[in-house]
Amino acid sequence: MDNDMDSMLETYLFETNSLMDQLDEILLEAEKSKRFTVDNVNEIFRIMHTIKGSSAMMEFDSLMTAAHRLEDLFFVIRDKGVEAFDEKCDEQLHHEIFNLLFEIIDFMRSEIEKIENSEPLTENIDKYKENINSYLNKIKAALGDGDAVEETPAAKAPAPAVPEPAAFVSPDDSPYYLKLKFEEGIGMENLRAFMVANSLQEEGLAFKYFPEDIETNPDTAEVIAHEGFLLAFKEKADAGKAVLLTREMGNISDFELIENEPQPAPEIHEETKASAKNEGKPAPSSGASAAPAASPAHAQQKQSLISVNLSKLDALMAIMGEIVISEAMVTSSPDLQGIKLDDFTKSARQLRKLTDELQDIAMSIRMLPIAGVFNKMNRIVRDMCQKLGKDVTLDIIGEETEVDKSILDGIGDPIMHIVRNSMDHGIEETVEERIAAGKRPQGRIILSAQHTGSEIIIAIEDDGQGVNTDKVLQKAADNGLLTKPESEYTHQEILNLLMMPGFSTNTEVTEYSGRGVGMDVVKKNVEKVGGVVSISSEPGKGMKTTLKIPLTMAIVDGMEISVGESIFTIPIMNIRQSLKVTADQIIQDASNGEVIRIRDEFYPVFRLYEMYNIPTEVTNIEDGILIWVETADESYCLFVDELAGEQQVVVKPLPAYLNSFNMKNAGIAGCTILGNGSISIILDIPNLYQMAQTY
Amino acid sequence: MSTEEMVSAASEQLENTGVSDEISQKYLTFISDGLDFGIKASYISEILTNQHITILPLLPSYIKGIINMRGMIIPIIDIRIKMGKSPAEPTNHSCVIVLNINSMMLGVYVDTVSLVTDIDESEIAPPSPTNRQELVNGMVSMADGKTLLLIDCEKLAQA
Repeated sequence: MDNDMDSMLETYLFETNSLMDQLDEILLEAEKSKRFTVDNVNEIFRIMHTIKGSSAMMEFDSLMTAAHRLEDLFFVIRDKGVEAFDEKCDEQLHHEIFNLLFEIIDFMRSEIEKIENSEPLTENIDKYKENINSYLNKIKAALGDGDAVEETPAAKAPAPAVPEPAAFVSPDDSPYYLKLKFEEGIGMENLRAFMVANSLQEEGLAFKYFPEDIETNPDTAEVIAHEGFLLAFKEKADAGKAVLLTREMGNISDFELIENEPQPAPEIHEETKASAKNEGKPAPSSGASAAPAASPAHAQQKQSLISVNLSKLDALMAIMGEIVISEAMVTSSPDLQGIKLDDFTKSARQLRKLTDELQDIAMSIRMLPIAGVFNKMNRIVRDMCQKLGKDVTLDIIGEETEVDKSILDGIGDPIMHIVRNSMDHGIEETVEERIAAGKRPQGRIILSAQHTGSEIIIAIEDDGQGVNTDKVLQKAADNGLLTKPESEYTHQEILNLLMMPGFSTNTEVTEYSGRGVGMDVVKKNVEKVGGVVSISSEPGKGMKTTLKIPLTMAIVDGMEISVGESIFTIPIMNIRQSLKVTADQIIQDASNGEVIRIRDEFYPVFRLYEMYNIPTEVTNIEDGILIWVETADESYCLFVDELAGEQQVVVKPLPAYLNSFNMKNAGIAGCTILGNGSISIILDIPNLYQMAQTY
Repeated sequence: MSTEEMVSAASEQLENTGVSDEISQKYLTFISDGLDFGIKASYISEILTNQHITILPLLPSYIKGIINMRGMIIPIIDIRIKMGKSPAEPTNHSCVIVLNINSMMLGVYVDTVSLVTDIDESEIAPPSPTNRQELVNGMVSMADGKTLLLIDCEKLAQA
């Protein structure tokens, strides 16, 4: 039973959160165009109604009341006519409604968050009630209360086209009907009817119900109260079972089983259980879903999506990893050494192909479009524009790009932080400044995402004032972050200072950015999902922050190398080349480090056995091999004993016991199990460079 | 008895721990640097011998490395070094006791395991005041006159 409750709560949270996101989008769109459309209002009304209903069911009173009040508000707007509202209300009122709505949405979100954290909900929401009421009074005054003649035909749209007549008319040619009546004056008949239908469907009964749009059309409540709720069955047995089941249910005052002679029926829409359930979930694009919910096209949509618990996908991914390892264990088993097995090799190749495909599918299941994260930024830009009095547009490119769910969760906050930074520090304070700099008066932030083979590249670009490198350098010097004389810093190195812990360019901490955390946290978060951050900026032209993130963290292509008895894995994406060198190619630099000259550039050489104190016999540079690796910022060479081959490896985190030793800083990203069962340590090339600087 | 036999005997006894009455608890005893230690059997997941330990660089010396136990990566600590003694030379008696401490897996590298014994909870004395070994949280006198030092697994789990 508890389990049932949990999954119900999960569904509730999922649906409500998606609805809130949808609502956000509609409102932002409406605010941009400075007017509501009939569709907008109907959609908001529908969303509020669904949230109200499901919150009531889950007994989340504050959410129910808030949704109820908003529903009231939109009821008035719809009642008076959307056009009338748009025309008669002045800018001030328009402005107010959006602020009011966003305020309440934020409140509702915070309540949902409380539910997620199992904290008690706010009990007193009078403040919001009052705000809505006072606003309601204002628009009532503006629209002239009482003259309901304002109603436009469009405003009536969501009402059912034809009310059911009082006498029994069978809506289709089903042979058996069950007519349910709810207790008089019980309220929300449509939702109750929906619950009945749902629970019958869960019992495995096949039926249709009328009115069909009970979930989405609140006006059906009235119809059901008067005419009753009709369930249409094909089989008598099903109908009989339904009678037994409904008898057990509360609030039903009367039921009647009707047998029906076949007769010509009006058009009917196939309503599967799945699509009925899914009605409340967002359609992928808000534009399409803003269409009146009761439209037939909506109901005809076949359900092809299911929601799956993330933990199951994680388990799938884990097993997938084990299969990849086991496959390598079997096909490269030492027992097979030196034996010629044609059939085995053929089958092994086939197995390899299949596991590769399986792996692709398993990974694609976890992929979600980045639109969810990107669209949240609309709201942030909107809020900050108002607070800071700036005029900025946000352009989103490549929102359909798909990313692994775990990565998606990890990059939301970093992107938000960078956008806030751009709004706060990037875009010029005043329009005059922008015009003086020869730019469009309106600021612009571009958020883009794209795939490049094994990576996803997310860029946040603004056309603001850019980074003032002198200021950055000064600030870094003040905070004691500089490690060499100021004059030696290159432009790129100065930009990288922005991402040092304890750096924040604005002296005052503002409401949005600042807060003691800065780009260093962004960098950390992105690195957590295996990515890198780089900043580029031209003074006066703006700033661009690029996040490069591997598509999936779970499986990487790696190069196995050995040092002494240890085996390490270097991600292929970090490797430029491996080279054999002669002793005279290595140059000692002033601080006794080694560098190598490759194509007129100098690269530092680090000996892995020295860094990690690993005993090995290969200490002569000519006996081992150099691996030339690169990261977003650095390029260097690692000296290792030998290459042991390329392999796809499954990244496993190091045991939690070792967390306090910060292995990441030691240049170790995790480990992996090789085909023979031994462990290989996965190197973290960017951090290894940092470590080499300090050891 | 060879190590193999001893380990399998101990493992077998561990598996039969189902019927332990309320007051007596089963403990696995092992020897480290000549001293007898006991670990509560309920923490023990299994005992491994001849396990190849992968060394992780730049860690305190008491962390010997990590092992792969059926796909799980488990850290191994050398109980001798952890207690401030000289590291053990690997012998063919050395083995790894894998513990499951509040669902965290941890391997303990010991000189040799000896046996599984029942210990009456009421006979456990607090560690002697002169004992400066913080991993020990109790002592028991055994029938054969030896003193068994009991390991505090919760402490052990804190890196």
